[in-house]
Amino acid sequence: MTITRRGFVKMGGALFVSFAVPARFSALAAAAQSSLDPAQLASWLEIRSDNTIVMRTGRTETGTGMSGYYPQVVAEELRVRPETISLIMGDTDQTPDGGYSAGFLSGMENARKVAAYAYQALLQLAATRIGAPVGDLSVRDGIVSGGGKSVSYGQLVEGQHLDLKIPIKGELAKADPAAWVGITTLDGLTVTGEPPLTQLSQCKVIGTSNPMPGIPDKVTGKTQWSCDVTLPGMLQARMIRPATLGSTLISVGDVDKKQFPTAEIVKKGNLVAVLSPSEVEAIGAARAVAAATKWSDWAGLPGSDNVTKIFRAYKWNAPSESRGKAADVTAAFAKASKTISASYEQPYTRHAPIGPFVAVADVRSDGCVTIWTHSSQSQGLRARIAYLLGTTTEHVVVRWLDHSGQYGRTTFGGDGAESDAAILSQLTGKPVRVQWTLQEDLAWSSVSPAWVSDVKLGLDANGRVIALHSSFYSPHMMDPRPLGALLAGMPCATSKPGNWVATEWPYDKIQDRLEDAYGMPNLGAETPSGGLRGNIMRTPGQRQQNFALEGLINEAAASAKADPIGFRLSHTTDQRLIDLLNATAKAAGWEPRPSPKRNARKTGTSAVTGRGSCIMLRANAWWVGIAEIAVIPATGVVQVTKFTIGAEPGKIINPRQLDRCMKSGVVMGLSEALKEEVTFDAGKVTSTNWDRYKILTMEETPEIKVVQISRDDKGFGGGSEAANAVVSPAVAAAFFDATGVHARRIPLTPAYVTTLLKS
Amino acid sequence: MANELTLSVNGAPQVVAVAPETPLLFVLRNELKLTGPRLGCGMAQCGACAVLLDGEEVRACITPVSYAVGKKVTTIEGLPAVWAAEKHLSEADAAKTLHPVQQAWIDEQVPQCGYCQSGMMIAAVELLANTPNPTVAQIKDAFTNKAPSPHLCRCGTYVAIIDAVQRAAKAMSV
Repeated sequence: MTITRRGFVKMGGALFVSFAVPARFSALAAAAQSSLDPAQLASWLEIRSDNTIVMRTGRTETGTGMSGYYPQVVAEELRVRPETISLIMGDTDQTPDGGYSAGFLSGMENARKVAAYAYQALLQLAATRIGAPVGDLSVRDGIVSGGGKSVSYGQLVEGQHLDLKIPIKGELAKADPAAWVGITTLDGLTVTGEPPLTQLSQCKVIGTSNPMPGIPDKVTGKTQWSCDVTLPGMLQARMIRPATLGSTLISVGDVDKKQFPTAEIVKKGNLVAVLSPSEVEAIGAARAVAAATKWSDWAGLPGSDNVTKIFRAYKWNAPSESRGKAADVTAAFAKASKTISASYEQPYTRHAPIGPFVAVADVRSDGCVTIWTHSSQSQGLRARIAYLLGTTTEHVVVRWLDHSGQYGRTTFGGDGAESDAAILSQLTGKPVRVQWTLQEDLAWSSVSPAWVSDVKLGLDANGRVIALHSSFYSPHMMDPRPLGALLAGMPCATSKPGNWVATEWPYDKIQDRLEDAYGMPNLGAETPSGGLRGNIMRTPGQRQQNFALEGLINEAAASAKADPIGFRLSHTTDQRLIDLLNATAKAAGWEPRPSPKRNARKTGTSAVTGRGSCIMLRANAWWVGIAEIAVIPATGVVQVTKFTIGAEPGKIINPRQLDRCMKSGVVMGLSEALKEEVTFDAGKVTSTNWDRYKILTMEETPEIKVVQISRDDKGFGGGSEAANAVVSPAVAAAFFDATGVHARRIPLTPAYVTTLLKS
Repeated sequence: MANELTLSVNGAPQVVAVAPETPLLFVLRNELKLTGPRLGCGMAQCGACAVLLDGEEVRACITPVSYAVGKKVTTIEGLPAVWAAEKHLSEADAAKTLHPVQQAWIDEQVPQCGYCQSGMMIAAVELLANTPNPTVAQIKDAFTNKAPSPHLCRCGTYVAIIDAVQRAAKAMSV
């Protein structure tokens, strides 16, 4: 770290200003302004003369509270109040680091370290100013005190430039068709070195419930969302999508100029759009043109009812990831007194935000491109747009704004309306806003693929698990190619079909295990649209694999006639898990006994109740889910009456936001456990509205009880994402407890449940 | 064809030149720049576009603008003024006072992504006008079973919404 003082360089009354910040919606003036120098402190953090702070991160708020957490970690290191920090997020020309938004833990480490470096520099400045040694100084609310004097950060830096170098490694994302998901990195830059950080036990701001800063504007209508961007001369576009996933364009219908005088058709390959300065006119004209547009027939999908059959018949290649020692596992199974095995499965599901994709693009004749987006991977999107248009990333600026949650589908910076908008802007020479419809979003955005998983356990004479072999089969979930580029036949970096072992092993007493993950291409991969493009969705991979793993652990507990929570406790020595299991069981009023319950039944018109549990380890966080349900066997209706969820993610940064994320994660998990299924026929997705793609309603939401354990000795864990993944296994276990029948498929719809209970 | 229509939006008269069948949502957003109500499903299935017409919730995405003529349109931008009028607040107090529903949404930290929450607050205001102290069951019923569709939140904030409606009910009954 070097500090040089350049004297009194008046630059806007702030010390760390070495560049001009363009106005939010102004078009890019010069390509040279499209990036910040990440080695400069000012690119990350700026202290204003009024003692307020601006912090910049390329990561964004995805609806899980990160915009509240970032100010907390910076405030902690700088000894200021979090409300004095304002955030700039996600704009590629105004933030230094890139990275994916869900990767908060690494983004936070960057922010903490930058703040810690800045704190040390400020202490040195203050020592000089006050004339007291650094060791005699103390800081509170941004005021440095020592030797009977005090000075604010703002006063220290006013009119000066502090040239503080931030050590970094890594690079910003570039498009690369040979790379894993079509871009070179998800992580962006990493701040290196080991500046002194506040001990977790000494934290005063971390651990408090700092509010999310954007909420007041959101509830009063002041927020500018990505769907609100308007530019001078902007055209509004509605897309006309193919008749099926595999159709190609035969002919486009005409625009009735009398009825729609300003509407124009723009097409490239199989990408068809109707544009007008008026959104309403674009909607009406698109509807009329779509009805008269002809597409070729295609019927290459198996139909959603036949997916499992297709997976079973498919000739899978070797596992794309395999974890464990096959020889040891074979030997362990040979010693087993008993083996149990089962297959679990789930149909296609999807992210299904309330707000469909929307984007604005301005592709200028001078080669400068600006994209307004809600993608959670701004730098990745920037790289993909540059690749699509055949330009360099330096020519592309991505501006981020709030929008509907994306639940993982924009993590790779691909899926979205941005490529549609960029292509149309390039073709028309005007700024273009593309608003997808809900039907379009539910039919054409990427999906969370269906899967099957075979799990086998070896049990010793006491029924304890001594060996495991799991095999997970699914179309890959790493295809973020944007639809617009695919349909237009323009360059878009591809990904490789493959899957991965997403579980983090939670049972340290089960040593001999082999976990295999198999991938295959998208269904309909050969079509111009890429078919059902598989993508990651909240708690990806682990959500699915944990349903199978914890399902069979519950079956093993039943086989051993053991209490399911006691059975789990007997397979671990990890005190963190033991503490959380005990605390969550206590909060749920869990009485130890085996499942199914004594008077379980699978017939009758009255409700039968049950309870079930599961665990998970993810990103240094432990999770426990306990479901209580009521089943009416005759109708197959499953109602979840109460859900208790426990989390121990190391040090909890923000208890209230974690509480909110845990409860809402349970809602999303219940939605998946009970309702969600993408349906499709031989050509196209058919679950294209909220009556057909059903998600949980408020009335179906049970009482949700939250247990949080925070500890200072295990660092930080991932808390905002994973609650959804401990729901389905607990609900299925509760179903078994109530009925004595194992439910190895979700969703537990009335149709599936009645069939299951009759079999 | 475009006609001149006079609307009353958030207490002020507004003249717009649009075809009478134009959905109210696009008039509010594109002509009047009121972006609180948002496009969700476009077919009255989710509630993201909800606004009040004479105090009654409608889905602006399917409501023709002509239907709003002669009625009072309220969006979340206009909720503070509704409360100020109801409570006869001075201009100075009105300027710094949100509608209790909005304040409760902040105090309970309801929004996650927040996209659906404008419609949720509109539904809450309507509910509390008719049922000042709703039970949890009444809140769930209002947000789920009232025509034309449930108010949907994909982030899953339903529990937070229930907390906030109850907090607002308390604040409004003082």
